[in-house]
Amino acid sequence: MSSIDYTQELPVIEGRPTLKEINELIAKPLDQKPDKKFYIALSITLTMLLAGAIALGFTFYYGVGLWGNNNPVGWGFPIVNFVFWVGIGHAGTLISAILFLFRQKWRNGIARFAEGMTIFAVMTAGLFPLIHVGRPWLAGYLIPYPNQHSLWVDFNSPLLWDVFAVSTYFTVSFIFWYVGLIPDFASLRDRAVGKVKKTIYSIFSLGWRHSNRHWSHYEMVYLVLAGFATPLVLSVHTIVSFDFAVSILPGWHATIFPPYFVAGAVFSGFAMVQNVLIFIRKIFNYEHIITLDTLEKMNKIIILTGSMVGYAYAMEFFTAWYSGVQPEQFTFINRAFGPYAWAYWIMVSCNVIFPQLFWIRKIRRSIPVMFVIAVLVNVGMWFERFVITVTSLHRDFLPSSWAYFKPTVVDVAILIGSFGFFFTWILLFTKSLPVVSIAEIKAVNEGAQPSHGEH
Amino acid sequence: MSDKILYSLTGLFDTPDEIIAAAEKVQSEGYTKYDVNTPYPVHGMDSAMKLPMSRLPYVAMVVGITGMFLALFFMWWTNSVDYPLVIGGKPYFAFPAYVPIMFEVTVLSASIATVVTMIAIVFKFPNNSHPLMDTEYMKNVSVDKYGISIAADDPKFDFDKVKSLLESLGAKNITPIYYKEEDLNFKPKTFEPKFVIAMIVLFAAVSAVTYITLNKLMYLPPFDWMMEQSKVIAQERSDVFEDGRGMRTPVEGTVARGFLPYKFKNNPEAAGKYLVNPLAATEENLSLGEKKFDIYCSPCHGYLAEGDSRLKGQFPSPPSLHSKKVRNWSDGRIYHVITEGQNAMPSYAYQLSRKERWAVVLYIRALQRSLNAKESDLQ
Amino acid sequence: MSDSPDVINYTKKELPSNFVKFGYAAFVAGLVLVILSLFVDNVRSAFSGVMLLMFVASIGVGSLFWIVAEYLSGAVWSTPFRRVAEFLGAVLFVLPVIALPAYFNMHDIFHWTHQEVVKSDHYLSAKAPYLNVPFFTIRSIVFIGIWVLFYYLITKNSRLQDSTKDQNLTRKNIKLSAVFVPLFALSITFFAIDWLMSLEPHWFSTIFGVYYFAGTVLAAMAAITYIVVTLSEKGYFFEGVKADHYYSFGALLFGFVNFWAYIAFSQFLLIWYANLPEETIWYLQRWEGYWMYFSIALIFIHFIIPYFGLLAQPSKMSPKRLKFMSLWILFAHFFDIMWMTMPTYQEFGYIPGWIELGYALFAIGLILVVFNWKASKENLVPVGDPKLKRGINFRL
Repeated sequence: MSSIDYTQELPVIEGRPTLKEINELIAKPLDQKPDKKFYIALSITLTMLLAGAIALGFTFYYGVGLWGNNNPVGWGFPIVNFVFWVGIGHAGTLISAILFLFRQKWRNGIARFAEGMTIFAVMTAGLFPLIHVGRPWLAGYLIPYPNQHSLWVDFNSPLLWDVFAVSTYFTVSFIFWYVGLIPDFASLRDRAVGKVKKTIYSIFSLGWRHSNRHWSHYEMVYLVLAGFATPLVLSVHTIVSFDFAVSILPGWHATIFPPYFVAGAVFSGFAMVQNVLIFIRKIFNYEHIITLDTLEKMNKIIILTGSMVGYAYAMEFFTAWYSGVQPEQFTFINRAFGPYAWAYWIMVSCNVIFPQLFWIRKIRRSIPVMFVIAVLVNVGMWFERFVITVTSLHRDFLPSSWAYFKPTVVDVAILIGSFGFFFTWILLFTKSLPVVSIAEIKAVNEGAQPSHGEH
Repeated sequence: MSDKILYSLTGLFDTPDEIIAAAEKVQSEGYTKYDVNTPYPVHGMDSAMKLPMSRLPYVAMVVGITGMFLALFFMWWTNSVDYPLVIGGKPYFAFPAYVPIMFEVTVLSASIATVVTMIAIVFKFPNNSHPLMDTEYMKNVSVDKYGISIAADDPKFDFDKVKSLLESLGAKNITPIYYKEEDLNFKPKTFEPKFVIAMIVLFAAVSAVTYITLNKLMYLPPFDWMMEQSKVIAQERSDVFEDGRGMRTPVEGTVARGFLPYKFKNNPEAAGKYLVNPLAATEENLSLGEKKFDIYCSPCHGYLAEGDSRLKGQFPSPPSLHSKKVRNWSDGRIYHVITEGQNAMPSYAYQLSRKERWAVVLYIRALQRSLNAKESDLQ
Repeated sequence: MSDSPDVINYTKKELPSNFVKFGYAAFVAGLVLVILSLFVDNVRSAFSGVMLLMFVASIGVGSLFWIVAEYLSGAVWSTPFRRVAEFLGAVLFVLPVIALPAYFNMHDIFHWTHQEVVKSDHYLSAKAPYLNVPFFTIRSIVFIGIWVLFYYLITKNSRLQDSTKDQNLTRKNIKLSAVFVPLFALSITFFAIDWLMSLEPHWFSTIFGVYYFAGTVLAAMAAITYIVVTLSEKGYFFEGVKADHYYSFGALLFGFVNFWAYIAFSQFLLIWYANLPEETIWYLQRWEGYWMYFSIALIFIHFIIPYFGLLAQPSKMSPKRLKFMSLWILFAHFFDIMWMTMPTYQEFGYIPGWIELGYALFAIGLILVVFNWKASKENLVPVGDPKLKRGINFRL
């Protein structure tokens, strides 16, 4: 086992590439025509997307009766998918904003991609509330505008908070992402050969000229944005958790929901980022930029957040028992040993047990194993939302109305479609924009900063 | 070449240490209009150039706090003033429930304002025609070189002095940058037909798009889901039934609510014998009877039931209800008359409910007693 | 000093004498008042004892948390100041002693210790397997035991490194820290449930452990910050204490002020919104009589004032502001604990008196005395730590 020398700072980027090499390496995928593999991948995601689109077409034409939702289980797959995708998005902001505030330099290699993923995941998530209302063309009523009925939206409703939270989150993430892209567009502009490309990059770079008088403001604004994005990311999943937790339903109403949902979101998001980055670093030869050390650090965060989620599971169980309230106790026993025990134990094993393997350094640094664990984490986190939504509802206070929720083909097709939608965006992103921030990577390259001499 | 106007003199450096030293030197020489261009922010450059701390966070703070209070005000006005609605037992002004949206609006407004201020006001972007654009110098600093550019309009600028300064600092590729000719000779061609036509087309397109978006795409019909329901309403045709009528007759042997049949049809004697007034002579029942009597009976019978019709001959005046005959009738007999009618008097069963009819009977009894009071009543 | 010397010149100094004197004075005065109060009003004194225990535990276990966090995250900026946290953490050793006033008056504090009440109360008898005196005692001993054990192991390695400069000790401590974190999460949660939440034995909140954790780490960070800034102004550390170091302290304080507010608001909003009687009771108690002013004050004391006090970037670097804000946050944490504890003692409001003052003085004195005792024996800077030099040269 190689031992670490604590007196030296580990380089973020391995192999001391020159700045020019970094520039070329990151810009290369944008110059080449997409290869066959790309088209194969794209056709797969588009097929998935098509399946979802067809299912949605049926849903809107015939109505939500095509889903598995039944009388006690009024919230089915759409909410599960919504929470899942919003959660996926959270890792992006965590990496780009929170780790930025903590000055974790290793984030620079993965921040751009994670931010992009945030945007696409939030876009995917944003579809589901529209889908779930069943009549998406009426979603305009969610916006508080002076309408012809003199009606206002209900600001007491957590579902409306969601509208504000998700749209704010999307907007701010997009701004953050674009602000980060401006210097990169300028770099691309200055190396572009073709006129069309140059024009496009010129437009998006807004005339950035790497001036330090600009960098000075730019860094401050980046810090301010990170300072805003950090509480924002907490607030978004907090508000998502409020959708459940402000109710009085046992299994939903728990005060730990806000931090628990945030931890879960970061957990699943990191797993997703890790999954996709494993491919990207391989395909684009970014192994020395997105290093194994970076992946290992991500795995550490996965184990940390996974354990937080496990803590929340335990506390929920304990408090249900401690409260002495019978419906509370029943809900949790029913979760673990009732008809949905299979889902519950998938959730517990994938979210709490498997990630514990990351305590072992070898597993933390083995790419195939970490890939599998991260996939399991995402499976587990999807099931967590399923368990929360469905098991709390399917046996409500009135035993005569108990029922078992079974998803239909349409439900599953919409879920597959959401993956298609998300990965289509990801694929297009990898070929149209630099997936690693050029300026940020240059800034943490060895020797890129002046030796801290004081003159 | 000499007709070109000089913008600045630039030099390139290879390492961050050199550029920091250069910036410090240039700053200490007293130049003010110079700039350093680096492919990424170099630490310590701000203090080398003696740049003040960016004041953009103040924009964020001011706009953010404004946004927060506007959101609070808006929610208060809509949910507590303009359309107050009790939901979930919460007060009209449910402050804790407004906190999430206040927070979101704060973040949204502050972020947008800060970035827009930075890009549009501080940087004056977009600016793709800056003299530095498209120069070798720019192409170098955007990859791996660190450049310094001292502008010609600096009060201390002197071509040779600056050049030797840069040389002494060890700069490479010392190059003068000129304004581009087309930029200098640029005159806005406002009234050129092409431009005017383009503007008109643009105007038309924007108007059309706005019109279509607002009035077609985003148009929401008013709620009419309550008015137009796919149910059969009275008198309507329906294909569900053989006879094509939407309205159905009651099923044999059933009684519709509120339509209990009258047992003593055409049998006044039996009615007088068997029907008993179910109402007690309470004040409430009497006043109900008075009210109904005054409305339905008094036009012919008169307010005091003396047969002094207000209709004055347009309709045959009925006999007085104070006659011995009527006084001796049982309550049920009177009730029968109201229900079935008698002689010229029609049935009032459709105007007066069962209870109201009995109340009228009570009131008639009270009227009768007022004119023919017994000895005992006076005690 | 473009390159700091490889050997760090550190000479051990006595702590400033007024610092020590103040510590002893507060300790003695506090002790006298505490003992007196036990005879005058033992119930009130016992409730104050809970506050004392929870506050000192916050400082102790919170400091231990920051030590552990430094090892696990690989942070370097805090390495030169780690000893401050280590010295503060030594109060963990006295926790069993200061738990005694509350423990021996348990019957007056904890409703669930009354057998006859438990029998006639459905909810309390359901909780009896957890809330009973023997198990409570065992739990408290185990939790404090875990903290003391890990504190001892980790600081022993750290001290040993002063002379050996062995990097393996850092590695060992990282492993110990990793083991400690899950134990820490569970122990602090149940410690908070036992000593604070069970004051109202009917009430429950899933987030309560996290709430106490948020206050704990914030208070410990404030204590560390105050001592670091005070001592480094007097030149106790090294020349290189820079705005960058201060900024890191300020930013963490600011971050955890927000974190506390987030957790506190989440708990409040969910209980307020769902409006279930068994949950709202806790907040209603804190909204009756004078307690309403305490509750409103808590928002300002614990969130709004420190939030605006630390919001601007320059204020996170200013030693004066940092000292003031960290003392303020320590006060806020004490206030928070009082707000959680005292409504059970007295409904409809309460005016802090000499008993609470005595306990507060005692807490301050105790922490300073323990700090001084450790500081007189050990180096104030972990001179053998491999990350020390990087920590001194730290730049944002």
